[in-house]
Amino acid sequence: MARRFALFAGLALLSLPAMPVQAQVDFSGAWAPLFHEDLPERIPGPELGDYMGIPVNDAARLRGDSYDADRISIVTEYQCRPHGGDYSMRGLSNMRIDAVLDPTTQQLVAWHTRMGFQEMERTVWLDGRPHPGPLAPHTWQGFSTATWDGNMLNVYTTHLKESYLRRNGLPRSDKATFTEHWVRHGNYLTVITVITDPVFLTAPLERSQSWVSDPGQRMGRDVCEYNQELPKPRPDYVPNHLPGTNPFLKEVSEWYALPSAVMRGGEETMYPEYRQKIGAPEKPKAACDRYCNCGAQDNPTCLVAPRSR
Amino acid sequence: MKSFAVTLFFAGLSWSQFGPPPPAAPPKSGREAAPVDLTGNWVSIVAEDWRWRMLTPLKGDAASIPYKPDARKVIDGWDPAKDEAAGLQCKAYGAPAVMRIPGRVRIAWQDENTLKLELDQGRQTRTFHFGPKPEKLPAPSWQGYSAARWEPSLPPEGNGLPVGISPRFGAHSRSLEVATTNLREGYLRKNGVPYSDKTALTEYYDLFREPNGDTWFTVTTIVNDPVYLFTPFVTSTDFKKEPDDSKFSPAPCTVR
Amino acid sequence: MPQQPDFDKIQMQVQRVQGRVYMMTGAGGNSAVQVGGDGVLIVDTEFAPLAPKLMAEIRKLNQGPVLFIVNTHFHADHVGGNAALARLAEPDLKGAPLKIIGHENVLNRLAKSQPALPVEGMPVDEYFTPFKDLRMNGEAVIIYHEPNAHTDGDSVILFRGSDVVATGDIFTPGGYPFLDIDHGGSVQGEIAALDHILDLTVPGHTQEGGTYVIPGHGRVCDEADVVEFRDMVVIVRDRIQDMIKRKMTIEQIKAARPTSDYDTEYVTADSFVKPDQFVEAVYRSLTKR
Repeated sequence: MARRFALFAGLALLSLPAMPVQAQVDFSGAWAPLFHEDLPERIPGPELGDYMGIPVNDAARLRGDSYDADRISIVTEYQCRPHGGDYSMRGLSNMRIDAVLDPTTQQLVAWHTRMGFQEMERTVWLDGRPHPGPLAPHTWQGFSTATWDGNMLNVYTTHLKESYLRRNGLPRSDKATFTEHWVRHGNYLTVITVITDPVFLTAPLERSQSWVSDPGQRMGRDVCEYNQELPKPRPDYVPNHLPGTNPFLKEVSEWYALPSAVMRGGEETMYPEYRQKIGAPEKPKAACDRYCNCGAQDNPTCLVAPRSR
Repeated sequence: MKSFAVTLFFAGLSWSQFGPPPPAAPPKSGREAAPVDLTGNWVSIVAEDWRWRMLTPLKGDAASIPYKPDARKVIDGWDPAKDEAAGLQCKAYGAPAVMRIPGRVRIAWQDENTLKLELDQGRQTRTFHFGPKPEKLPAPSWQGYSAARWEPSLPPEGNGLPVGISPRFGAHSRSLEVATTNLREGYLRKNGVPYSDKTALTEYYDLFREPNGDTWFTVTTIVNDPVYLFTPFVTSTDFKKEPDDSKFSPAPCTVR
Repeated sequence: MPQQPDFDKIQMQVQRVQGRVYMMTGAGGNSAVQVGGDGVLIVDTEFAPLAPKLMAEIRKLNQGPVLFIVNTHFHADHVGGNAALARLAEPDLKGAPLKIIGHENVLNRLAKSQPALPVEGMPVDEYFTPFKDLRMNGEAVIIYHEPNAHTDGDSVILFRGSDVVATGDIFTPGGYPFLDIDHGGSVQGEIAALDHILDLTVPGHTQEGGTYVIPGHGRVCDEADVVEFRDMVVIVRDRIQDMIKRKMTIEQIKAARPTSDYDTEYVTADSFVKPDQFVEAVYRSLTKR
């Protein structure tokens, strides 16, 4: 009996196919964002009228010009609004990534991200499921599926709610989709995001941001409650600037001694040859006097007020 | 009987999982081992750090750079005229910074183990060497010495034993890893934010394709400078493939 | 009204919304369908030729009697299937009445419309109060009149237990609202109606989900989507109001393109409401005496 069993076991093992090597990287863990690029925009916030480097069209520009930041306090429905799935990776928030395993097969079926800011959560499905149909609701984070290409995870997201490209009113529509490419090198995670928006962009907007593993991080709750705290001048009031009346649009070019034309952004401004077209600033300056030491050891989060060095 | 079963167990494993050991293969050259093709013509697409890259930022503007307090004097002391007089026009075009300068890059194999990057801005050339470092390096330079390898894939541990122990599978990396040292001191930005000659640079080049057919690579750059930075300075810079080099426009270094 | 398509080629799309409520879309406006132990309540019935397909989809969900049809307004793409559905529903009623509910202005408009709606499709269970409520399938269904919004007979229906609101053409994400000025619509009423919808909706965690909204046309939405739409209407209204104050003519206002930053989002080749039409409707609302 034992002899037969041993023979059977050996034969069974001989017939086992060699297991294929699968391409999987472990993204799970706690991650801290690195703000070594665009720190003033991403932490204190972008300046009004700054559309530099974004391939926007005129519709997006007018939306941005009309934006009044009071909207996010006066319109109570905006107060607790989280970032869109595309902006989440750029925003001021720690992140935790968890592996989602099929309980029966123990195979990885999704990555789940949770951001500290507004407790945004997203599931990136790896099980080949289809995206919802055109009548399904849209969400802030959208619906994401992904496939592996070697050590890179390629993610595709649809079904986004209308949101923003920058937090200064530059819009991103609910017809946009975005792809991401996640790649991990040691303790660094780089996420490349490419947004395609037929409503507001004339070309895909590609940005990349880096994270560092932060195992000691403990993410708490971020519970937001909305409330009418300021009186509205009338019930149907939505703060906005009428076209051509926004008095704040020239600030950026003055603060940073930039030619005002570059503030308007556009596809051509992303290419190196655009530098030949950049003229002189209308108001030159000798030296920096705003956000100059953002990110330095004595001001790592850029929360010291502008005008300090 | 038990020992016979155990012997058969491991024999079965050995044959089913490994087969007979393969003959030793000669090591592959950098070119042969390439899991992706980075060669071609590339243009930097500037949608981030725009006003620090497309223009020379104002003197003293070091936003986003994690510098130590001691670096502030150097930053505020930037004197472009002095750099010009001293022939240091290329000080902001060193390896830690040059990929951030908007421009075009031509990448090609110089030989089986050397990948050459020609950058039109500053007319800089970087060479990535696969294989062992020479014993003696040349004098420090703007581009330093770059040792390259295809980032090793995570090996399957325990050779993926399928029975009784959970299989562990390796991940195939597609990334180019480049470590650069032997650098002259230079500037992280054109407005004189410094890096020292103790700087070590690590880069990862990652290729990807978009559904619309565009091909890109992103280089994650990690600058370690114990003199001026309190933490590694990490940026990611994006390049889109172009069909040819018709727009490659060599231009000399400038201090402003 | 939208041009009528080839109905034979239309396939109904069914989207489960929440609780007992589904959205069904064919070629006309969206239908909201509530099902349960009592039977079926339908909000808006699309076009008559689609009634068999609509009923077929309903029967996949529920075999009970269709006891209520509620019309959000009088336009043909929302009431056209009333009579056909009533006839299809008849065999299963077994003596129970099928009530067709609408605001009295819907009945008044339909009574004068040409071609006339068949009698069995008329919303003769009309109401004239600010709201009307009933209980169906274990939940409160509250029908609110929204005065002079899209038309003068608009209703918004709240399924209180399912936490779903059906808005009719007051809310049409992806397209400018059709302000039917000639039939009592107005931009002021439209804004007030959208604000009321926002009062009825309560979002879930992270400001999404919670109360779902079935628009007159388009996908299932929630409060945040209604806010974007409301803000657009208010901002366009503000711009045109300002231009009127500056004594600009309607032609000058159209030429100034006060909707240009919304056109790429709300206008396609198939759009029913083009920018000039929207601008003109807002202008007429604001200058009506």
